[in-house]
Amino acid sequence: MILFAELVNPNVNISSIAPELMVAIAGIAAMVYDSFFPNQRRVTGVISLMGLAFSAILLGMMWTDGHHASAFNGMIAHDNLRMAFSFVFLFVTAMTILISTVWVDNENVPVGEYHSLLMFATFGMMLMASGNDLVVLFLGLETLSIATYVMAGFRKSDLKSNESAMKYFILGSFASAFLLYGMALIYGATGSTNITEIAAKVADPNFPALLLIGAATLIIGFGFKVATVPFHIWTPDVYEGAPSPVTGFMAAGPKAAAFASFIRVFVLGFPLIAGVQASGYLHETWITVLSIMAILSMTVGNVAAIMQNNIKRMLAYSSIAHAGYALVGFLGAGAASNPVERDAAIASVAFYMLTYAITNLGAFAIITLLGQKNDRRTEFDDYNGIGFKSPMLSFTLSLFMLSLLGIPLTAGFMGKVLVFRPALEAQNALLTVVVVAAVINTAISAYYYLRLVVVMFFKERTTQWLEPKMPVGLAAALLIAVIGVFYFGIFSDSVIEKFSRSTRTVGAVQK
Amino acid sequence: MDFITENLLTILVLLPVFGALALLGHQMFWKQEAQLKWVTLLFTIVNFLISLFLLADKGAASASGFFFEKNIPWIKAINTNYHVGVDGLSLWLVILTTFIMPIAVISTWHAVEKRATAFYIFLLLLESAMIGVFVSLDLLVFYLFFEASLIPMFFLIGIWGGENRIYAAVKFFIFTALGSLLMLAAIISLYYLHAEATGVGTFDFVTLLNTLKLGNLVFSTTAGALLFFAFALAFSIKVPLFPFHTWLPDAHTEAPTAGSVILAAVLLKMGTYGIMRFCFTLFPDQSREFAPLFIILAIIGIIYGALVAMVQPDVKRLVAYSSVAHMGFVILGMFSFTEWGMQGAVYQMLNHGVSTGALFLLVGFIYERRHTRQISDFGGLANVMPIYATIFVITAMSSVGLPFLNGFVGEFLIMLGMWKSTVLSTVSTNWNYVATMLAGTGVIFAAVYLLWMIQRVFFGKVTNDKNRSLKDLSYREIGLIAPLVFLMVFMGVYPRPFLDATEKAVVEIQKRVMHRAGGEVVKTEEEH
Repeated sequence: MILFAELVNPNVNISSIAPELMVAIAGIAAMVYDSFFPNQRRVTGVISLMGLAFSAILLGMMWTDGHHASAFNGMIAHDNLRMAFSFVFLFVTAMTILISTVWVDNENVPVGEYHSLLMFATFGMMLMASGNDLVVLFLGLETLSIATYVMAGFRKSDLKSNESAMKYFILGSFASAFLLYGMALIYGATGSTNITEIAAKVADPNFPALLLIGAATLIIGFGFKVATVPFHIWTPDVYEGAPSPVTGFMAAGPKAAAFASFIRVFVLGFPLIAGVQASGYLHETWITVLSIMAILSMTVGNVAAIMQNNIKRMLAYSSIAHAGYALVGFLGAGAASNPVERDAAIASVAFYMLTYAITNLGAFAIITLLGQKNDRRTEFDDYNGIGFKSPMLSFTLSLFMLSLLGIPLTAGFMGKVLVFRPALEAQNALLTVVVVAAVINTAISAYYYLRLVVVMFFKERTTQWLEPKMPVGLAAALLIAVIGVFYFGIFSDSVIEKFSRSTRTVGAVQK
Repeated sequence: MDFITENLLTILVLLPVFGALALLGHQMFWKQEAQLKWVTLLFTIVNFLISLFLLADKGAASASGFFFEKNIPWIKAINTNYHVGVDGLSLWLVILTTFIMPIAVISTWHAVEKRATAFYIFLLLLESAMIGVFVSLDLLVFYLFFEASLIPMFFLIGIWGGENRIYAAVKFFIFTALGSLLMLAAIISLYYLHAEATGVGTFDFVTLLNTLKLGNLVFSTTAGALLFFAFALAFSIKVPLFPFHTWLPDAHTEAPTAGSVILAAVLLKMGTYGIMRFCFTLFPDQSREFAPLFIILAIIGIIYGALVAMVQPDVKRLVAYSSVAHMGFVILGMFSFTEWGMQGAVYQMLNHGVSTGALFLLVGFIYERRHTRQISDFGGLANVMPIYATIFVITAMSSVGLPFLNGFVGEFLIMLGMWKSTVLSTVSTNWNYVATMLAGTGVIFAAVYLLWMIQRVFFGKVTNDKNRSLKDLSYREIGLIAPLVFLMVFMGVYPRPFLDATEKAVVEIQKRVMHRAGGEVVKTEEEH
């Protein structure tokens, strides 16, 4: 009877996915416009930016009014995890569009397609944060991935770009397969794809072994998407070959999206349920596995970054290390003893991804500008002694490096403090070790972040230097990034408060 | 006027930042570098004059014993406040900072030609961070300034330094950053331990201290030791205590003169200040327990620093190693946990700032003339540059610890304190005498390496023809060094105003360290 009622009156609640729809509509509009009036580079960009802005407004309204309804039979969540991460995605995409202006002006690439692909990727990312069902998560992930595969290979005539896209595509599909397989196993073990229901069922699964294997394959799949060691091998090649703005986007956006899903499935889907052994075993296992992955990611990422001579590769390894730092906050959320602490920890990961995104995109903006056509100038040697030739650009890039390093008064510092906090709060010996590893790694990372500063300011330039002309869009992106780095570093109060304010849990939303 | 006294510390911290912004604006709109040093000098002198208000009228101390306190919420989500204040311990260090800055600026008058705007901006930002370190009473804010002081120094060494500057700058940065990051982990842990004990997490030093004093928060043995070492390591690297000292000779040798002066005079003091302010008060039991370790390292530092200084061919490197020895003395005095020793340590911090700062200035003078610092390149300078030689000898004597000069007072108090100290009695009786005597040999060594260097550089005949035409000090240079020489004599003859000002705060810390949790007082000094 109930089933029948659901069939005739499906629980469709369009308003609950309005921000996502807005982005998708803007993407379609950009695509359609481009097919009628090709090569109007600015218009598609403006359409996309407007779509993002409206989506942000809708998101803000959902955030403030707080009312929520079950949507799509509990497949869509309405909690701070979704809100905070969605905000990060919108921001990342808007910044990417601004940064791409330079690239779009200098190279003959089909911009309309690029903008619509970006919007579809954003739609996918937002679904990954809002999906409360494994199927929706997978849907979002694939929408995102297919768009990014294409974007990575967008520079058709460039071999490296092609290599990048091909590698990303093959390895990405492989990881998706793992993910899907894990989802199937979880379904087999719990009889549901809904994360709330899975969480209720972990205590008493049909086949405990299936649950564990499912969780393991999920870790492989997500581990690939967030680029943690040992599933990181693809990252440097893909990041190096992809056009710089796309690399910046990939490091900031899809990584954050994968974290959103990863957190939702593991922290909310596989919680520790007091007094139930099965849940305890699963929980302990994934905390241990992720702790090891976090330590490995930070160490391998930072040590390998030291040895790079290409800035994009250096930032690729740095992004692996940053995935490790974000995992620290993730583990803090997983080990939290009550929902309030857990939500604060989730908010801290979202905040961390925001600070990483703003800093990293700022850095990629400058790399894009200096790299010029086909990213020709991306070696450390190309930056020799430009410090006092282009002081503004160099100091700005140094600022981003210091923020990635986590120097106080920058966004990166607040991000680090916030993710280390919950991990220490858990009072768990293993997590304390992870934090100490993170701290030591931060000191290691000083070496290569400073290397760029050293190269720019402490060395002399022997060859000629022509400062590239800066387009307005890129200047705007840089300005936003610089203000953001300081704002989130000094006045982070309001943002943190916003990210952790709607502290409803998914469990309370559904059913 | 009220505005100034009410926000005194904030003004001291922010004024240099405004100075830096002014320079930036100046550079952007006028593109002239000639007036920059005047603007910088103006800002540093005004800041010095404002800092003198610290001495003038303190009013009443707050309940926590701090003056000019200001406590404004900063990030509510993690309960961290912009909390600043000074007491006897930090008072002179703040003034030392503001005092040494104008001198550092004038010392660069002709030395810094390239990229002057950036140079002066970094100098001012450095001043701001250094003052911030000494006045902040919130652990997170303290950490912030502590770490922020690295960046300008990194650039100062890296851009305007000597041959090997890149290596020195990176080494300096990574050494210090590693230590301070572990301290950050400890600071965050303290927040949670406090939250667990009282229900409210805090980074506020005064609140933490009160909770600890009331016994509401007691560290387990492991936690206490780990936290103590996280703090102590960060500060020991900064001091630097043997065996963490290796960054110092490199940094000092490569840094431009102004950088060396600031590094020696102020940056190193952040370490000793931190140990005294935070390690001793937050972890008194651990401080007592591990004091023998620090005393041993300090003594090794004193003797090792002196021996290595003796064989240095480069004058600047020699002075750098003498810093290692001198800072060893400061650590020794602090960990004697006697009033004399600790007072002596605080006094010695100021002395070292004045004398070693002056030594680096003097080395800078000769380097500007000859572009070499090798002892073997000189000889007989006293014949050519009598004024320079006289001032150099006075400064060296102050560094050695000749009576009636400042170094004597500090070292004497430290050794007296160590002699009376009972800290080492846990290891074995009478070891305090051994420790004092070993430290005493350090003084003798100091006399040896400095006098030997002076003999080779200043006395005898002029051996190198290039040295015959050297000009003696200019009025600018004499004016620069004169206040420091005056202080050496004044602090040597009449230390009372300085010691009186620090006494209350130091005794407070000493009492705190010698109180066991139960309130029982540990016997600190043998009966006279």
